[in-house]
Amino acid sequence: MYKSISGRRDFIRKMAMLSAMTAAATMFPGILFAKEQEDGIPKDANLDWKKGPCRFCGVGCGILVGTENGKAVAVKGDPNSSVNRGLLCVKGYHQIMCIQSKDRLQHALVKKNGRYVKTPMHEALDIVANKMKGTIKEHGKDAVAMFTSGQSTIPEGYIASKLMKGAIGTNNLDCNARLCMASAVTGFLTTFGADEPMGCYEDIDHADYFITWGNNMAEMHPVLFSRMLEQKSRRGAKIIDFATRTTRSSTASDKSILFEPQTDLAVANAICYEIIKNGWVNKSFVKKHCNFSKGLTNMGYGLEDNYKFKDIPEKINFDEYKEFLKDYSPEKVSKYSKVSVKDIKYLAAIYGNPNTKVVSYWCMGMNQHTRGTWMNNLVYNIHLLTGKISQPGNGPFSLTGQPSACGTAREVGTFTHKLPHGVVMNKKDREMAAKIWKVPYDRIPAKPTYHATEMFRAVDRGEIKFIWTQATNPMVSLPKTGRYRPAMQKESCFVVVSDVFPTPTSDVADVILPAAWHIEKSGMYGNSERRTQHWDKMVEAPGEATEDAWMFIEVARRMGYGDLFPYCKENHVEEIYNEYRKFHAGKKHNMAPLEVLKKQSGAIWPYVNGKSTQWRFNAKYDPACTNGESFHFYGKKDGKAVIWQRPFEEAPEKPDQEYPFWLNTGRVIEHWHTGSMTRRIPVLHQAVPNAYVEFHPDDAKKLGVRNGEKIKVTSRRGSCTLPASINERGLPTKGQVFVPFFDENMLINDVTLDAFCPISKEPDYKKCAVKVEKA
Amino acid sequence: MKKRLGIISFFVIIFIAFIIVWNYSYEQGLEDAYIPMIEKPKGSFIPSESVVFKRFNSDKVDYANMPIDENYQRMLVNYYTNRAYPGAPPSIPHPIKNERSVGGNTCNKCHENGGFVEKFDTYAPVTPHAEKSNCRQCHVTKNTRETFKAFAFDKKQAPKVGKGTNNALLGSPPMIPHQLQLRENCIACHAGPSAPKEIRVSHPQRTNCRQCHLPKNNRSTQQIDASKFIRKFDDLNER
Repeated sequence: MYKSISGRRDFIRKMAMLSAMTAAATMFPGILFAKEQEDGIPKDANLDWKKGPCRFCGVGCGILVGTENGKAVAVKGDPNSSVNRGLLCVKGYHQIMCIQSKDRLQHALVKKNGRYVKTPMHEALDIVANKMKGTIKEHGKDAVAMFTSGQSTIPEGYIASKLMKGAIGTNNLDCNARLCMASAVTGFLTTFGADEPMGCYEDIDHADYFITWGNNMAEMHPVLFSRMLEQKSRRGAKIIDFATRTTRSSTASDKSILFEPQTDLAVANAICYEIIKNGWVNKSFVKKHCNFSKGLTNMGYGLEDNYKFKDIPEKINFDEYKEFLKDYSPEKVSKYSKVSVKDIKYLAAIYGNPNTKVVSYWCMGMNQHTRGTWMNNLVYNIHLLTGKISQPGNGPFSLTGQPSACGTAREVGTFTHKLPHGVVMNKKDREMAAKIWKVPYDRIPAKPTYHATEMFRAVDRGEIKFIWTQATNPMVSLPKTGRYRPAMQKESCFVVVSDVFPTPTSDVADVILPAAWHIEKSGMYGNSERRTQHWDKMVEAPGEATEDAWMFIEVARRMGYGDLFPYCKENHVEEIYNEYRKFHAGKKHNMAPLEVLKKQSGAIWPYVNGKSTQWRFNAKYDPACTNGESFHFYGKKDGKAVIWQRPFEEAPEKPDQEYPFWLNTGRVIEHWHTGSMTRRIPVLHQAVPNAYVEFHPDDAKKLGVRNGEKIKVTSRRGSCTLPASINERGLPTKGQVFVPFFDENMLINDVTLDAFCPISKEPDYKKCAVKVEKA
Repeated sequence: MKKRLGIISFFVIIFIAFIIVWNYSYEQGLEDAYIPMIEKPKGSFIPSESVVFKRFNSDKVDYANMPIDENYQRMLVNYYTNRAYPGAPPSIPHPIKNERSVGGNTCNKCHENGGFVEKFDTYAPVTPHAEKSNCRQCHVTKNTRETFKAFAFDKKQAPKVGKGTNNALLGSPPMIPHQLQLRENCIACHAGPSAPKEIRVSHPQRTNCRQCHLPKNNRSTQQIDASKFIRKFDDLNER
């Protein structure tokens, strides 16, 4: 970026030219970045660079991995990727370091007399297949279950679904994306009838305002946040942080607005109230493209086993909706949300101004919420009422946390109710799956079974006798692990864990299968903006570590389903992808062909006529729009999106006399989810070696707590001891404490509550009541 | 009499109305005043997070467009000569204007935003903590080259810099080799014409520094040593 000059006169003369150059460089920072990184690499290093998506979050940055003599030695941002344009975050730059960890699982381990014994892979797979077959014979199909991941590749998820639903014939398949994305899915389905965001990351380059709802993007989606900061300094775009905790994102944004946990529901309704009251409704858009509906209320929180809920939607009209909103005037909402009337009106005015472009971003704050589906609906309401949707720079955008939560969990459908296309409840969708899988149609059951939390409750009740987890660490990430850890240790359930590293989950396994990591296999991931990205195997996996998809196939063959899995070991990823693509043929969801994915850094579906569709439902960009209007929400039969009447309801557990603090849990930039990978990367571990509990300085003072002191956090379910952190990474509001959940030595999920959203079944990790004391 | 009664009752009605209206508005006023708002954090809150972005938001300095004047650039060795040990507050290497002042605006005139100072023929270094105004609490002048007694303080080596020194991988972003307290504002020392040549950043337009650069060792004050995995997997089992 710098240009050196010699004379002082030159200094001034060259200023103009230089600033023009800098401006150009800021427009394409990636190009500069990759070049600078290359400068840091010795000239004689003979590196081979291969492209792929990053292993970590749902942003899906393009990476280039440098290999030398069969070993991965360097990572740089892919300048050709439109996602990150050459920039990565600290996790991305160092990701390949974890695979060199000395405790890497390299051989299958089978538990014998309380010890894990090294076992040849083929024998371990025999044991798994026999156990699975035997369990089905003895206890029925619904006694076996599989729990996969938003980190599974598309082929892995697809084979898991085909094995469980098509071959065995049970819907006992769910994944950890239930813990992070389910509310976004049900939000999209109830409002639009079609999952995943309508916009894309390019919205950042067009928007005037970014409003983040309970979302610390500077740490969780740092590359997108940097793109926003770039627009802030270049165009004066504004970032508004709406949250329950002051974070790095709050300090970097133009305005930070804090609210009382759970009251986001009320504030979103208050924004709609103001929009209608001030006449900011885009009347023609609402008339042409929207319906109004209400659903059941007082749904409960799923705290009891076998909890069931089915929403019954009922159409209403605009006047009824307007009447409903009367309870949500800014003045009324302000009292319990603790957001000032002025701030609510300020937010409403931003959305309401027809001349500004607004993007709303959210992730776990809104999804991990006992009313998560409602909260998603409410933000869509704001964008639908103002017509600010499906246009460059305008729209709601739900971010994901896992690299293929969209690509695998949501698109392939590794949920109990899902199929690669559609849902198990739908006869046509079952017929389609049966036809492509070449299985009898009646083998696929029409009734969904267990969602994530209920699946582990069923293990505890002894209903599930065999469970296989892949690329996930539920013994750290489930809520209320205090119940589910002993459940998994019970004799009644045989536990198989496929993973790359030993984790608290592999500690409760009967068989541990060593898995190949990210770049040790080929695959595809799908990121938050519907972008499918492919990579080729770059290095060999150590020992007997094997691709997950291939382990599934081997077990399926041993169980006698060989004819359904006719793939060859060398090329199974491509064969599976080509088979999977058949499910999504058509203008609404076509996936890019393999040749395209290999050539470029990802493609956004629907991929129609050789082109990615960046803005869905907008006739200008989306060839699937057929109603002759400028917008067509074709997910719903009548082509209209739904504005939902969703009230404010209290959280299941609130601070009281005995447990006076809110407990909020979350993440830090250095660690990714349960830390099984990032804690094995020295750079990241050294920066944040352990979890901690954050206090507001006033609360700390009142309790006499000093920084670093041992603190015991206790709820009605369990406790956890951590060092105190005061005024460091984040600042919770008064009466709230915050704990990151990555640390397996300090399991905060022993303390959390397993209440979930009745519609999405996604647990709320952000709100429960605790007491804190010096330990 | 009747007339008087009429007037009295008229005033009575007016008075009652006044009391009702006054009460009503008083009640309303009370209610508004009662709304409990969440207190916005004030002062120096989460400095390690907030200060990073600070200077970027200033409209006085445009770091992205700051050329380098090679004839007048500082070297890292000069940066450290001025400090008793790496991380110590630098002493003031020039005569000062007002001996009775705590510093404040006098120092900040040059040291808040930097710029070329004709008198000393150099660019003024920028302070990473301009909001602290009692400068001379930590920064003192140097009025003699002598020491009081012979001196055996072992000056610690400054952290090494340069390609590959602080990088975990080939070409990966270097880690931060120094402590961050009072130096949270990275850009103050790492960009601009006064930044030492060796530690000048090539991409000052990037604001979220700690997206890529992490401190090497972050937490030292806590009572719990939890820097290792406590599971006994390795000891108990075959691998």
